[in-house]
Amino acid sequence: MSKNVPELVMRPEFEAGDIQDAHTGDVERQLSIFERVWNINGVRKIVILFGLVATWQIYTVALDVEPLMFPSFTLAAERMLNDLFYGDLIWKIWFSVKVLLYGYGMGMGIAAVLVLWATASRLGSDFIATATAMFNPLPAIAMLPLAMLWFGLGTASLIFVLVHSVLWAVALNTHSGFKNVSQTLRMIGENYGLRGVPFVWKVLVPAAFPSILSGMKVGWAFAWRTLIGAELVFGASSGSGGLGWYIFESSQNIETEGVFAGLFMVILIGIVVENIVFRNVELKTVNRWGMQR
Amino acid sequence: MSSVPQTVVRDEFEAVDLGSASHGDVARKLTIFERIYEMDSVRKFSILLLLMVAWEMYTRVSGVSELILPKFSDTAAALYSAVAGEQLLIMVWNSMTILVTGYAIGLAIATVLTTAATMTRFGSDVLSTLTAMLNPLPAIALLPMALLWFGLGSESIVFTLLHSVIWPVALNAHTGFMGVSETQRMVGRNYSLKGIVYVVKLLIPAAFPSILMGLKIGWAFAWRTLIAAELVFGGSISDTEGEQAGGLGWFVFANQMDMQIPHVFAGLFTVILVGVFVENIIFTNIEMRTVRRWGMQSS
Repeated sequence: MSKNVPELVMRPEFEAGDIQDAHTGDVERQLSIFERVWNINGVRKIVILFGLVATWQIYTVALDVEPLMFPSFTLAAERMLNDLFYGDLIWKIWFSVKVLLYGYGMGMGIAAVLVLWATASRLGSDFIATATAMFNPLPAIAMLPLAMLWFGLGTASLIFVLVHSVLWAVALNTHSGFKNVSQTLRMIGENYGLRGVPFVWKVLVPAAFPSILSGMKVGWAFAWRTLIGAELVFGASSGSGGLGWYIFESSQNIETEGVFAGLFMVILIGIVVENIVFRNVELKTVNRWGMQR
Repeated sequence: MSSVPQTVVRDEFEAVDLGSASHGDVARKLTIFERIYEMDSVRKFSILLLLMVAWEMYTRVSGVSELILPKFSDTAAALYSAVAGEQLLIMVWNSMTILVTGYAIGLAIATVLTTAATMTRFGSDVLSTLTAMLNPLPAIALLPMALLWFGLGSESIVFTLLHSVIWPVALNAHTGFMGVSETQRMVGRNYSLKGIVYVVKLLIPAAFPSILMGLKIGWAFAWRTLIAAELVFGGSISDTEGEQAGGLGWFVFANQMDMQIPHVFAGLFTVILVGVFVENIIFTNIEMRTVRRWGMQSS
């Protein structure tokens, strides 16, 4: 009993000798112009971008790197502008984007039908769960050899592969989004007498939109990667060929600056779709509806 | 005045034929069939079985050419023989070795980048510029450059894998760290956590859902990139014995070239199996032990 009582410790008293006056730094001061400019996000990022490009340029020029191995930035940019305005690069891009849109649209359509079936019946729901569990981990590009066998060397097989890459990602996310719509929202919808397709369209889709949108983004990312991969390998199949084929062709002809020009375009399109298209969709839907900050 | 609604008096009437109220079975025993059918796994398994049977029936009845769509039984036999006799396991092993190497190095680089980004604003700007630029670039598009720089070998594939892993992981980890609430940060500082300890004990657990998301996306991209890269250049990667074993993607491609379609399907099955294993066993287990156990994410 008494063991548990802590001993009292008396510290010796002491006197703090040398405490200086309190000293406050600049609590508030005018920022210099440099600091104010540096605080703008866009400026910093553009400076970084310029820094990267300058490093690249200086590295290649100063060390006299073989342009076949690593061309300087100016060479690559020149090649890109040249092909864009005087060559057929713009048509290749258009070809790729067209195929991508077909595949994406069809994939979304099939996903919509599947998910409707899944909301209508338990059999559909089970089917979609089994199919997505099986096909989602299968890289779409692995289906390409089969697709070429079934649909021949042409756009049809590219679209088949794209549909495969979009369908499962979108279906999986939409389905799980629908399942997580709260019972309260569902009952409100039923209370308004909504049923069948109007119920899905007016209640489930808006309520599950963050999840649907993330499915669409993942689907886009997979589709874009698959398309470039497929074109890199088998792109010339349908006459003109796309952006991936442009890269492959340039690398086969050992025109490395062409490869870089193609990569620039791939990056540009990716940025446009992700930061402009999807960002705007987000702003106009989930952000406006207050579902996501 | 016309906007004032008129009062409508409905005629009175008497409901004659109501019948007596009857309930259905409010509670009844389920039949054995119903009870079995209630089990999720049984339903899913029977759907799988049904698909296989439909496939087998279709190929037998319609007499589709073996080269277009082989029978399911042939595919299964091909899978068995490939596993038993023909190096399929070695190929899977080759693929997985490359994948794990690329994934691990990618994680290490992503860690360094994220650390720099969390410490300083300049680092954060560099990271966000780089990811905005390089994340939309499919890693496979870098393969031609990689082949030029590193030659025809597993180094090139590892390089592309790095690229496919680093950006999603770094991006997600960084957003996760940024999203850790100020309260939690202050609690950590109150416990006088600093530096690495602060990151390991506070930031990482708090941002784990987001980090895990990045790891999963990185895996998905890496797996797709690896298969695509092997489809194209897989045969050129010599295995340790000096034989051209290649990887799983090469197995699919080579068999397609030889018109061994059952083997192509067997290869696809293996790809699915590996994918299901990683996603549903490895990642689900990590999820169960971390974010779900910590109550950060439900079902």
